[in-house]
Amino acid sequence: MTILESVGRKIKRDTRRALDKPSEIRKDVAYTIEGIQRGFIDPKDVAIKALSTIATVVFVFVLLIPVYWVLLMALQGDGATLYSSDSAGLIPTDVTFDAFIWVIGDLYIPGAAIGIAIPFTGIEFFMNWPRVYFLQASDYGVDSTSNFTHYLRNSLFIGAATVTIAMSLIVPAAYAFSRRQFYGRMKLLYGYILFTQIGGGLGIAALIALYAIFSNLGVTNNRLVLSIYYAAMAVPFNTWLLKTYMDSIPVSYEEAAIIDGASPFRVAYEIVLPLAKPGLATIFIFIFLVGWMEFIIAQVVLRPENYTLPIGLFMMVDQFTVPWGRFSAFALLYASPIVFVYLFAQRYIESGLSFGGVSG
Amino acid sequence: MSISSVRAGSRKGYQAVVPESIRERISDNSAGLLVLPGLFFFSLFMFIPLIFTIYLSFTDAEPATVFQDGPGGLLGLFGLRGDEAFVGLENYIALFNDPSFWNSLGTTWLFVICSVALKVAFGVGLAMIMTSDRVSGKRYLRSIIIIPWALPPIFTITIWRGIFSSAQFGLANQFLMWIGMEPQAWFTDRWIAFSTYLITEMWLAYPFMVIITVSALQAVPEELVDASKVDGAGFFHRFINVTVPAIKRPVMFAAILTAAASFTQFLIPFVFERGAPGRSNELIILYGYQEAFNYNAYGAGAAIMMTAVVFIGVFMLVAVWKGRLAEGVGGS
Repeated sequence: MTILESVGRKIKRDTRRALDKPSEIRKDVAYTIEGIQRGFIDPKDVAIKALSTIATVVFVFVLLIPVYWVLLMALQGDGATLYSSDSAGLIPTDVTFDAFIWVIGDLYIPGAAIGIAIPFTGIEFFMNWPRVYFLQASDYGVDSTSNFTHYLRNSLFIGAATVTIAMSLIVPAAYAFSRRQFYGRMKLLYGYILFTQIGGGLGIAALIALYAIFSNLGVTNNRLVLSIYYAAMAVPFNTWLLKTYMDSIPVSYEEAAIIDGASPFRVAYEIVLPLAKPGLATIFIFIFLVGWMEFIIAQVVLRPENYTLPIGLFMMVDQFTVPWGRFSAFALLYASPIVFVYLFAQRYIESGLSFGGVSG
Repeated sequence: MSISSVRAGSRKGYQAVVPESIRERISDNSAGLLVLPGLFFFSLFMFIPLIFTIYLSFTDAEPATVFQDGPGGLLGLFGLRGDEAFVGLENYIALFNDPSFWNSLGTTWLFVICSVALKVAFGVGLAMIMTSDRVSGKRYLRSIIIIPWALPPIFTITIWRGIFSSAQFGLANQFLMWIGMEPQAWFTDRWIAFSTYLITEMWLAYPFMVIITVSALQAVPEELVDASKVDGAGFFHRFINVTVPAIKRPVMFAAILTAAASFTQFLIPFVFERGAPGRSNELIILYGYQEAFNYNAYGAGAAIMMTAVVFIGVFMLVAVWKGRLAEGVGGS
């Protein structure tokens, strides 16, 4: 079963459950009403429960107003500011998607001309096509567009490089931690756990020296070096996480494979890794998000042509008059993949992050 | 000559050169080789900058000197050292005589104490609501309520910067006007600015407290609660005598971790007008950052960072020793 299949099956199940939900609630309500009529449910209890639930829902809404507010500002369009009463209040008035179009800008396939010559025959083909637009901002009355796609390209480059490097460091280490004995294993594991908690703070504290070192080696403004740095910083937490996941895979599968004559490498490659796919997917996401979310070090090390999305976001809010509509749309598009991943993977992350990893 | 005979030959050579006891050790620990690359890269990027920070804190480094070509070779740390001169403890002495350093350190500790108290109180209160019998749909509410945890810090902090905009229709000002007060310029008064930090930090960190506390509350045995109800204990007594002992340890564990995070908080003061008004609200890490990158005093900045690291180190040691942090990691 591939990951895609299992994901598809889970989506199907969740949808069915969501569709069943209204009828379930109706049944519950009907049962309660009947109970009150026949006198075996106290109406006071029902009232208290209903009131406190409503109060809690209102409270949760108030708590999450910042997120709602950003959505609201983004839908107010291109020119929303905080200096006019037009964008005040919590109920949207004119909804437009101008701001989002400003952020995304033009989407197109670049035009090109290609010549193909078939050797020895003297036949040549020439093909050329104009720019193919999927989305042209000026059609919607949005003239200038943002640098979002430029930042996105940098962020994706750094994310991909970080994941590649970090995975090649972490997967073998997690396997060794989970299945083999060696000198200093537990000490190193405890050290890693300690650094998952304080590593971030120490990383910022060493920022000045890091910048001096990078400058002296001439590698500031280098996306690849920054990716290596992120990958190195992702090692402790993700090694520990993957080790915990591998611990939950029964050893008997491997024993069976060894009895059938598989080499150690084959056992790791054909038994452990396929079974650890959910764990690998989890750390894949976590490692990718390191580069996607990191701001402080990127901001010190990189120059404008290599800026990533977090820096772009900060630059919009760090000016004298902030274009709030545009800023909000930018922020939402930046955070949307994370929210998607989170809503999707929440169940697994919650169950996968049990703090039981140091035994053995 | 076949390949396998080459291998056999080199193995014989290997056995002749390396004594048997060492050979055994290597083969016992060979799995450790899989761990080494990760450990190497992590140490490279974690410890070398830290050691270099210590070195810089004893020099008069500034951009004009530190980026020059140094002596090179072993003494020049293979080109890492620039032109800076060794000044001994001068940076630290200047630092400890500087009132603005003590102001920053005091503000930081105040921030840690206030924000941890707020986070714990708010998180535990929210967790009690989210496990209460009187609320239905708790499962869904719980997954909604931890959304701030999933959002990138730079996203949430820039948004809070917008909420506390001094513009008339910033969200916080709209709220003030709704309850009948005057709009504020949030970052011109020191303590108002400080309280905006506290609110933002609380909003960022409460999901973590809620998650930890909810799982601890769910572990409280029902029988204990029922028994205390039968004995006639009111809500307050039940909270003190049944709930608190059950959740004390996990909440302590979470509080210690979140305190360390508050101590190194950099983004909130940085995004909120860089510790405005003036430099009065620069938390310690931002203070060091500004000294280095805004005032070009790399040596003094490194000394500030080292002082912060020492504080965190001592704090974590005390926490591990007193609060048995390792048990918190290993337990449950």
